[in-house]
Amino acid sequence: MASLLDASKPRINCSMLSQHIGRGVCFVGRVEKVHPTGKTFSVSDGEGKSATVELNEPLEEELSGIVEVIGMVSSKGVITTTTYNILREDKGIPFDLELYNEALKVIHDFPQHYPFEVAASG
Amino acid sequence: MWNQGGYSESSMAGGYTQSPGGFASPALSQGGEKKGRTRANQIIPCTVSQLMSASQADESFRVGDVDVAQVTIVGVIRSTDKSMTNIQYKVDDMTGAPMDVKQWVDTEDQSVDSTVLPPGTYVKVSGNLRSFQNHRSVVAFSVRPLEDMNEITSHMLEVVQAHMALSKPQTMSGAGGGMSSSAMPMSRPTMGGMDGNVGGYAGANDMTNNGLSANQNQVLCLIRSCPEPQGISIQELKKRLGSMSIAVIKQAVEFLSNEGHIFSTIDEDHYKSTDSDD
Repeated sequence: MASLLDASKPRINCSMLSQHIGRGVCFVGRVEKVHPTGKTFSVSDGEGKSATVELNEPLEEELSGIVEVIGMVSSKGVITTTTYNILREDKGIPFDLELYNEALKVIHDFPQHYPFEVAASG
Repeated sequence: MWNQGGYSESSMAGGYTQSPGGFASPALSQGGEKKGRTRANQIIPCTVSQLMSASQADESFRVGDVDVAQVTIVGVIRSTDKSMTNIQYKVDDMTGAPMDVKQWVDTEDQSVDSTVLPPGTYVKVSGNLRSFQNHRSVVAFSVRPLEDMNEITSHMLEVVQAHMALSKPQTMSGAGGGMSSSAMPMSRPTMGGMDGNVGGYAGANDMTNNGLSANQNQVLCLIRSCPEPQGISIQELKKRLGSMSIAVIKQAVEFLSNEGHIFSTIDEDHYKSTDSDD
């Protein structure tokens, strides 16, 4: 699944999940509930909607706050994780998830200025 | 001693007074001045995908309408590789495969040893885009770990704003790409994934003095270059102009047709240029 990291991973929120089924994506959201098995958890995006994230290995750490998940969207809209990264807020500066959501809308409105694919250069 | 063996070209006093750009040979400095209109003065926020698709002419790069030399990217470090003279990172900003970033190391400075940033660190890279043997990389003069993750958000917005502001302004009627794209916000159905051909046709036929917008010119160029007797179809135009939506292409076609640059052939979807090159 390392090849997923070598391709583009469009940044999306919950509303865009259905348009990216079968594709690699980058989902940034707030950790909501972690399943007792540690193999799945829910995240909420800047619009307050929730998505489910599945892991290959159970979590080895306490997961909370803002997380950036890179993975593939299944046909059920679940994200199967390739890798995840906690966006640290330990410098005392909280991450503004709602603002990030607005930025998401901007980059999807202007794909010519924020492309998620590498075009073959002439 | 100072004037022997080419030393005068790189000597400090002589170099600066004779070649304003600091280039050694007069020939190079002429080229540098000509190309240097907007190039070295700006540092432009970019995505890795833009840097990889930028078109290249000699040593200068272009993303769409925008000349890029010094750039900033924001991404997460995926891997590191330290050698005696440099640190190489692969930085991933989600727009494509991770980008190679090279940072030169001062071998005299022992404290540099501890400053290799670990994978998983979000960084802002500032440096110059380079291409060597068809391989693109960024030679960084600064790789700074992010302390405020909101810089990820601000970089995304800055990229769009900078490229939009620096792109050639759309002329004439509303067939410009800028206006149309704001009229169709979230309607990007994935036709097999997003495409963003920003590097596209820039520089091929720089004819914006003819009163046509960049989009209209691109469409007209493609229609002109088609040798088929029945002309080129809108579908074919869409295939070749990845970043332009069908709506924008149709608007450009309608404008060009009204102005008499093109005409329809077998049906409303096929067009030929009124002054084709055959």
